[in-house]
Amino acid sequence: MKLSSRSGRHAAKIELQMTSMIDVVFLLLIFFMVTSSFRETERELDPAVKIERQSGAQAADLAPTIIRIVRSGGGDFVYQLGGRELRDQAELTQVLSQLENQAEGAFVRAADDAPLDMAMSAIQAAKSARYRTVTYQPPDA
Amino acid sequence: MRLARPRENRLEVNMTPMIDIVFLLIIFFMTVNQISDQTNEPLELSKQPGSQDQSQGAMTINIDAAGQIVVAGETLSVIDLAAAVSGEVERANNDPAAVTVIVRADRRGDCRSFNQVVGILARLDVSRVRFAVESSP
Repeated sequence: MKLSSRSGRHAAKIELQMTSMIDVVFLLLIFFMVTSSFRETERELDPAVKIERQSGAQAADLAPTIIRIVRSGGGDFVYQLGGRELRDQAELTQVLSQLENQAEGAFVRAADDAPLDMAMSAIQAAKSARYRTVTYQPPDA
Repeated sequence: MRLARPRENRLEVNMTPMIDIVFLLIIFFMTVNQISDQTNEPLELSKQPGSQDQSQGAMTINIDAAGQIVVAGETLSVIDLAAAVSGEVERANNDPAAVTVIVRADRRGDCRSFNQVVGILARLDVSRVRFAVESSP
């Protein structure tokens, strides 16, 4: 007895039309490659925030570092660290790294008319110098 | 004489997966655009490496170069912002420590509005404050 086989002529031919799919996938790939080069990744700085209070004097052997952004005698803004005036972020990072009070933390205070970019640079410099806590302290209104 | 019937060349273009993907893409970009428009204003952020990747915040406060405070597409005064932050704290069961606020400030501006915003957050005991920066490529 001859049985009809399942395979062969009578089997349903399954065809997957992949061309259009591949077209779209390549299009997507190109799109994401192009757009990703234009968009820059956003990251974060995570300082603590605190309001400046004049009465809050701290009694400690090692005082925390206070970075002020103030107008210098020449009219432009500088980073003021103790009695020193520093002009750029790299210099500030270098000086902060040489200090030994990283465990005490750092405070950043920027005057209202100071450029915002300098405030961010000061926080980043303190973070890069491995200060345990970095606190941004706006002047009390 | 019987001639052989010429074989038909049937050209089939399967459009189904193409249409599926195109619709999926349209929905995806519409959704993403809506979300990004609601929270993030197009600002020029400070170019810094930052200390961590951006996390999801309960509230995003944008400060443009002119010092205007924009939250979810609406320009707010300092008083309105204080009310909005208080609302967020109330929604978090009056626990300011549970509220994460992302401050996105334009690097071309000054610190006036920024100091006001940080002052409000500090007064309301919102301690989880993150400043957005743009990592250079």
